[in-house]
Amino acid sequence: MSTNSVSALKKRKSPIYMAVIYVVCVIIAITCILPFWIMIVNSTRSTPQIQQHALSLIPSGHLAQNIGVFKGKDFKPSVGFMNSAIISTSATILAVYFSSLTAYAITAYEWKLKNAFFSFIMGVMMIPGQVTLIGFYQAAYRLGLTNNRLMLILPSIAAPMMVFFMRQYLQASLSIEIVESARIDGAGEFYTFNKIVLPIMKPAIATQAIFTFVANWNRLFEPSVLLTAKEKKTLPQMVQLLRGDIYKTEFGSIYLGLTITALPLIVVYLLLSRYIVAGVALGSVKG
Amino acid sequence: MNKKKSVSYTKYGYIFAIPFVVAFLVFQLYPILYTTFIGFTNLKGLNSKDMSLVQGNPFQNFIDVVNVESFRTALKNTAKIWILNFIPQIGLALLLTAWFTDVRSKIKGMGFFKVVFYMPNIITAATVAILFNALFQSPTGPVNDILCSLHIQDAPVQYLVNKTTAQNVVIFIQFWMWFGYTMVTLISGVIGIDPAIFEAAEIDGANRVQTFLFITLPCIRTIMLFTLVTSLIGGLNMFDIPKCFLDGGPDSATLTTSVFIYNQAFSGSYIYNKAAAASMIMFAIIVFFSCVLFYILRDKDEAAMKKLKKMELREAKKLAKGVM
Amino acid sequence: MKKLVAGMLCFCMLAGVMTACSKTDSDSSGKTTINLWTFTDEVPKMVEKFMELHPDFAEQYEVVPTIIATTNGEYQPALDSALAAGGEDAPDFYCAESAFVLKYTQGDACEFAAPYSDLGIDIDKEISDAQIAQYSVDIGTRPSDGAVVGLGYQATGGAFIYRRSLAIEAFGTDDPDAVGEIIGAGTQSWDKFWEAADTLASNGIAIVSGDGDVWHAIENSSDEGWIVDGNLNIDPKREAFLDISADLTANGWSNVTQDWTDAWYADMAGVGEKPVFGFFGPAWLINYVMVGNSGSCDEDGNVVSSFAEGQGTYGDWAVCPPPVGFFWGGTWLLANKDSEQKEAVGQIIEWITLDCTENGLQYMWANGTLNGEGGTKDTVASGTVMAMSDGTLDFLGGQNMFDVFVPANDYANGSNLTQYDETINSYWRDQVRQYAAGEKTRDAAIADFRTTVGDNLDVTV
Repeated sequence: MSTNSVSALKKRKSPIYMAVIYVVCVIIAITCILPFWIMIVNSTRSTPQIQQHALSLIPSGHLAQNIGVFKGKDFKPSVGFMNSAIISTSATILAVYFSSLTAYAITAYEWKLKNAFFSFIMGVMMIPGQVTLIGFYQAAYRLGLTNNRLMLILPSIAAPMMVFFMRQYLQASLSIEIVESARIDGAGEFYTFNKIVLPIMKPAIATQAIFTFVANWNRLFEPSVLLTAKEKKTLPQMVQLLRGDIYKTEFGSIYLGLTITALPLIVVYLLLSRYIVAGVALGSVKG
Repeated sequence: MNKKKSVSYTKYGYIFAIPFVVAFLVFQLYPILYTTFIGFTNLKGLNSKDMSLVQGNPFQNFIDVVNVESFRTALKNTAKIWILNFIPQIGLALLLTAWFTDVRSKIKGMGFFKVVFYMPNIITAATVAILFNALFQSPTGPVNDILCSLHIQDAPVQYLVNKTTAQNVVIFIQFWMWFGYTMVTLISGVIGIDPAIFEAAEIDGANRVQTFLFITLPCIRTIMLFTLVTSLIGGLNMFDIPKCFLDGGPDSATLTTSVFIYNQAFSGSYIYNKAAAASMIMFAIIVFFSCVLFYILRDKDEAAMKKLKKMELREAKKLAKGVM
Repeated sequence: MKKLVAGMLCFCMLAGVMTACSKTDSDSSGKTTINLWTFTDEVPKMVEKFMELHPDFAEQYEVVPTIIATTNGEYQPALDSALAAGGEDAPDFYCAESAFVLKYTQGDACEFAAPYSDLGIDIDKEISDAQIAQYSVDIGTRPSDGAVVGLGYQATGGAFIYRRSLAIEAFGTDDPDAVGEIIGAGTQSWDKFWEAADTLASNGIAIVSGDGDVWHAIENSSDEGWIVDGNLNIDPKREAFLDISADLTANGWSNVTQDWTDAWYADMAGVGEKPVFGFFGPAWLINYVMVGNSGSCDEDGNVVSSFAEGQGTYGDWAVCPPPVGFFWGGTWLLANKDSEQKEAVGQIIEWITLDCTENGLQYMWANGTLNGEGGTKDTVASGTVMAMSDGTLDFLGGQNMFDVFVPANDYANGSNLTQYDETINSYWRDQVRQYAAGEKTRDAAIADFRTTVGDNLDVTV
C-alpha cells in the first residue's frame, strides 16, 4: 500500500471510501434479498404461471388458492410448526448451553485428559456425516426412539463444532483473573459459569444459537427417515408432501410452504441478531 | 498453597465435560463405530445382513474405492469447488468485517447489511438449488434472456449442460450462501476483543488498515482457525447444493465425495461397505489437512507457555524429590 | 442466565410431555390400525373414498397413511428400513412408482411382498374379468414364484399428442388416422417419423420439443433392459438415442428444451422458439400438464378460451398412436407379507386395482368422478372399465382419447425394465446431452456412461 492511500484512509470519512462501501454493500444486499422476494412472489402465483416463468418479481393474486391446496393435502402448518419449534428450540438451547460448559471445562481448568479430550472432540467433528446415517437409524431403533423427537434433540448436547467455536472464543476473551476473583469472593464453580462466564459469551452464544436453530429447522433427511408418524412431522417435511407427483406438482403452494417455513427463521434471526448488530461490548469486565 | 488450589478445581473439568461425553456415547458413538466396521465387511445390497469381514486383505474395500474413477473425479471436484469458493468467501467476509467493526467510521444502515448478508444461509439448500436452476435454464431462462438481449452472447448457451459453467455456478452458490455465515462468525470474534486495545491503537496513531492488520487480525486468530477448520470440514463434506442442484451432473462435473458416498449407499445398489470405506478415507484426508492448519495457526505464545510450565513442573518435582 | 436455564428446562419438559402424550393416543380409537406407506396423497384419497363407500369396514379399521415424498430419494430408504424392521409400525400395504416398482416386485425388495392370492383375491379370474393391461401384470409378477404381488390402477400407455393446425399446415390433414399413417404409427420403427420431421422442419416446425420427449418412447421400445444377467447392456435401440438426440439438435427437429423446464412448458402453449408439433405421453400428461400450460387457461387454471378463439392451444390437439409403443409412469400397490390384516388390506387393494364395476375405483378414475363430476379423466388398467367409459375431451377438439390410449396399452411392455432404471436412465441421458451438445465424442460418451454405472451400482460393465 502506498503512503498516499494510507494517508487517504487516515482521514476520518473519505467520501469515496464510504461510497465504495455503500455500493458494494447495496449490491450484495440485493442479491441476498432477491431469492426471498422471488420465493414470496411465487407463493402468490399459480402453478401454470410458475411453470411458464419460474422467476418473477411481480406478485400475482393466487395466495388464497395456494392456501386452499393445503386443505386438500394434509398440510397442517400449526402441527408442523409446533414440531419444528420443539425440536429446534430444545436442540439449540441444549447445544448452546452444554457446548459452552464443555468449552469452559477445556479452557478454564487444568486436567490430565484435557488435551486428549479436545483432540477427541476435534476428531469427532471431522467425521463425514452421510454414511453415519445408516448407523443413526440403527441407533434410534435400538434405543427405541424411532418416531420420537428426542432422537433429534438429545444428540445436540454433544455438538463438537460448537464446542470448538466456544473454546476458541473463550481463549480469546476469557481472562482467568475474573474466574479467580469470583473464587475469592466465594462463588461456586457452577455459579461462576452461569453468572459470570455465560454473559461474557453472549455474542458467541447468539451467533451459534442462530446457526444451530437454522440448521435444525431446515433439517430434512434425518426427520424424514426418523419421524414417519403424521402428527410428528416437521414443517420442511410437510412442504415435501406438497410436491406430490412430478407430473402434478403444485408449485405455488410449495413456494408458499417454503415461505411459511422461512418466516419463523427470519423472526428468530432478527431477535438474536441484535447481539451481532449492536456489538455488545465485552471488555466490560475489565474496565 | 498454589498447588493445592489447582488440584481442588481439577475435578470440575471432568464434571463439566460429562454431559458431552454421555450424549456422545449414547447417540453418536454407535453410528460411527458401525460405519467404521462395515468398511471392513461385505455388507452391500438392501436387506443384506451379511456382516462377514472381507476375505484376504482387510483393506480391500478401501483399495477398491480409491481405484474407482468416479471417486477420484469427486475428490478433484470437491477440492476445486472448495478452494475456489473459499478464497473469495473469506476475502469478502474479512473485508466486510473490517468495514463493519471499524469504530472510526460508522456506516449508516450497517445493522441492516449485517442482518441481510446472512440471509442466504437461512433458505434451505433445496430451494436455493431450484432458484439457480431456473435462473440458468436454456434455451429460455433469465440469464440467457438477459445476455442475449444485451448481445453479450448470440445464441442461448446450455449453462447446465456445459461442465465448466455448471461447476462455476455451484462454486458461486457456495460462496454466496456462506460468506455471510463466515462474516457473522468473524464479527462475533472481533466483538469479543477488549475495546481498550482499539482505543490504545487509535491513541498510538494507527490508521484503519494498520489497526485491522496488526490488532484485529491477531486478536481473532483463534476464530480464524475455527473458520478455516470448519470451512475445510464443511467444504470437504459438501453435499446439499451439489446433490439438489444437478445431482452431481452434468457428466460428474459437480460430483463431490459426499454425493458419491450418498449415491453408493442409497441410490440403487446399497453398496454400504464401499460407502463406509470412502467415508473413512475422507475422514483421514480431513484430519490430515486440519492438523496442518492447526500447526500453521497454532498459538505460539501458548505453546511457549506450556513448555515453560512443563519445565517448572519438572523443577518442582526435582525439588520435591530432593526434599524427600 | 437464569431465564435461559429455566427456559431450557421448560422446553425439555414440554418436549418430554409431548412425546409421552403422542405415544398413548394412537391406541385410543379401538379400531384396528392398517398402515399405508406412499409418496403422494393420491392413494390415501382413494382409501377415504373406499371408507365412505364401505361404512362397515370403516367401523372396524382405521387406515393410517404415511406419506414420504420421492423427491431427494427419501421414500425408498425410509420404506426399506420400515419393511426390514417389521413390527407394529411396519406398513401393511405400500405403493411403488414405475421408476422403482421393479425393486419391490422383482428386485432386491420383492421378498417383502405378499402374493395377491394370499389376500383373499381370486387373482387369475379377476385379472381376466377386468382385462387388466398385460404390462401392468408383468411388472407386478414376481419371477421367483410367478405370483402377482403388485398391480396398478392407471394405465399409462402413451400416444403421440399433436397440434391439429400444424398438421394441416404441413400435411394438409388433421385426421388422427391420416396423421398416424404419416408418422408411422404402430410400425415399431422411427423411419417415417423422421421423414415427417423433415417435412415439418421445412415448414419451420419442430416435431418435438426436446430429446426427453422421444426418450420415453425409445426406452420402452427397446428389446432388452439395461441389465442382462447382472451385466450392463446397451440395447441398440437405446444406443441409437445418441444419434437421434444429436440429429434433433443438428436438423432443427426440436427446440432443444429439457423436459419439466420453462421452455418445455412454453412449447405446449405454442410460444416457444419454433412451433412444436407434438409431445409423447400418456393420458395424464394431457390432464395434469398440457391443459394447464396450453395458454388458454386463466390464472386460476380454468379454461377460458381456445385455439379457435385465438388464445393458447386448447382444442387444437389430437392423439394418434405412436410409432413405437411405450408407457410412462404409474403407481403399483403391494401388500406386506408380514401384515396381520391381509384380508382387510386385500379388500382395499381389490377395490382399487381390480373392481371393474361402476362403484370401483377405476371407473371413477377413468370418468373423473372420484371427487364429484367433472374431474380429470384418465386411462385405467382395466380394459373392461375402459370399454364402459367415455374419454371425450374438448382439449382434443372432441376426440375420444380412449380410442387411442386403450390400444396403446397393448404395445407397452414391462419386460425391459430393471430395478435400477431411474438411476441408469439419468446417467445415460446426461451422457447423451453431453454428446448432442458437442462436448464429447460418441465413443467417449458410451465409455463414460459405462464407467459411471460401474462405479455407482453393483453391476458388471
